[in-house]
Amino acid sequence: MFEELLEDVAQTNGLRETSTWLKLAAGLGAIVLCLLSTGYAAPLFIALILSAAILVLARVDLRTYAELFLVPLWFALMSVAVIVLISGGEHVFWSWDPLPFLALSITRESINTGFFVLCRVIGGMSALLFIALTTPMTDLFVVMRKVRVPDFVIDLAMIIYRTIFFLLDQVRQVYHAQVMRLGYSGWKESVHTFSMMCGAAFIASWDAGDDLVRAMDARCYDGKFALLGENRPVELRPLAALALFLVGASAAVVATQGMTLL
Amino acid sequence: MSSIVLEARDIRYQYPRGQEAIKGISFHFRRGEKIALVGPNGAGKSTLLQMFNGMLRPDSGMMLFDNKPMEYDRASLRELRRKVGFVLQNPDRQIIAPTVYQDVAFGPTNLGYNEVAVKDAVTTALRHVGLPGFERRPPHQLSGGEKKRVAIAGVLAMDPDVLVFDEPTSGLDPSGSEDLMELLDELNHEGKTIVISTHDVELAYPWADRAILLADGQIIKEDVPDVAFGNTKFVRMAHLSVPTLLELSAELEKRGFSITGRKPRSVLDMVHIIESQARGSCGHPAPGTVTVCNVDTIAPGTIPLWVQARPGIAVGAMGTRAKQCAAMEQVLLEFTYGVIDKCILRALRGKDSLILTNGSMVGRVTERVEAYCRESGNTVQVTRFDSCEPGKI
Repeated sequence: MFEELLEDVAQTNGLRETSTWLKLAAGLGAIVLCLLSTGYAAPLFIALILSAAILVLARVDLRTYAELFLVPLWFALMSVAVIVLISGGEHVFWSWDPLPFLALSITRESINTGFFVLCRVIGGMSALLFIALTTPMTDLFVVMRKVRVPDFVIDLAMIIYRTIFFLLDQVRQVYHAQVMRLGYSGWKESVHTFSMMCGAAFIASWDAGDDLVRAMDARCYDGKFALLGENRPVELRPLAALALFLVGASAAVVATQGMTLL
Repeated sequence: MSSIVLEARDIRYQYPRGQEAIKGISFHFRRGEKIALVGPNGAGKSTLLQMFNGMLRPDSGMMLFDNKPMEYDRASLRELRRKVGFVLQNPDRQIIAPTVYQDVAFGPTNLGYNEVAVKDAVTTALRHVGLPGFERRPPHQLSGGEKKRVAIAGVLAMDPDVLVFDEPTSGLDPSGSEDLMELLDELNHEGKTIVISTHDVELAYPWADRAILLADGQIIKEDVPDVAFGNTKFVRMAHLSVPTLLELSAELEKRGFSITGRKPRSVLDMVHIIESQARGSCGHPAPGTVTVCNVDTIAPGTIPLWVQARPGIAVGAMGTRAKQCAAMEQVLLEFTYGVIDKCILRALRGKDSLILTNGSMVGRVTERVEAYCRESGNTVQVTRFDSCEPGKI
């Protein structure tokens, strides 16, 4: 189960003790810079640095990271292929008009645009993965409260977070029980079995909700969720590293302005 | 000590559109007692437990807490639930918050403690259940036993007078169960009244001060465990089994062993019965000694030295703090549960042992050994080892 994997990696990563603010600044800053950049080199540079940080500083396993990266990259590649084929340009390398309203062509401009988009996606993805892999949800709750997200939203988010894992567990148990009794042996059976699993999950969540209310009542619930633990302080060395990264990336954005592949 | 804390007077309860789950039950618990509610599945144990903190309200009859009838308005219920802590069977259903800290802090926060007091309560509770340093862990990464402890800590943080456990050892491995029962003992020793529901007679028999046998929504028998479990008729009615020790002693009695006074409640008692009949045939060496060490006051590093200076000594740890201390000092533990009895057994074979424990439990070792000596006529020496001058090692 993917969500659990991500969260588990985040809970044990090497940058766990670094201030959440710094990690968020690095990730969000990188995304903004990727969007501001007009050349392909700066997003690649950002991706390189952040990937290195994820692998070396956060000590995330290379395989895990590669797997996480490849899934969205596959979608990105397909979109880029469409961009390359659809958008036109002056330097035509290859073209084909299969239908009167559809013209496919590969031009220098379209390759440049496609590659630029791909680099941006890679940069943005590494930034998102950097946040996801180094900052567990439980730390983000602290930040949410600090930036004045309404309490009821945070409380709901926390209950949902807690329940997701419980529900995943239930679903996994039902799924295993179904697989063991050959529930997914054919297409028709699969549909039927899957619908049964959804039903079971619904009932389980209903039950869990009942129990949650009871558990909260038994512990004197009065509309308050516990204050979240303290945030880790901003330390000098990570702060310097962040500043260096942002300045370097900004410089790269400026220096490689308008740079194209061909 | 003997004031009544929780009382039921002829309570009845029927689930909506269901059969009657509780059919007229009366009982009372005294402060500081250890009570086991024992009965088969569907006997109404869980239903009954939920009345202790006002989660369910009896249809007729009366529940009393501290000799006052329970009120079911919001404010009274809050007060009641603060004083009667309830630990559910499935910790997953009890743990609400995304981190251990937040979950344990849930009760205190809702009771309106300030931030410092909340933090204090959480730290104390986690230390109590042996999970310090777990504050920021998310519950779904914990093992079953750890989750159970978090659930208990969440209740302990509210400092209740009465602790109610629904099937406390379900889902735990044997050593986890033993650890948990020891934790319950520790809490009881600090003055808390403890009520557990279980269908495990082997667990309830040696542990409880009083056992209540339930079946089909009614009390079948309420007495000290050896009487409650000793009567095969009642035990059969409650779909239970006679504890092995009781069965064994009954069989020995039929074979001419005279078992006077209390029925055996532990292996130690059993050994005493057998040995006292067969005296002469198995000679007793001079009894060994039991040494008690308080891990709260001892200087770090002295325990391993002391143990090394006495080859052949066995070390046991009682309580979570003592076990942590032993792990930190890298002392190999021979006994982790039933420690006092096992050390007395060793002493009777002429071997020495050391018991690591903390503050409130130190006195209990002496009490237990003295009680045993009084009953059996054997003598076992208990010595204290609190601080140690280097020369004396």
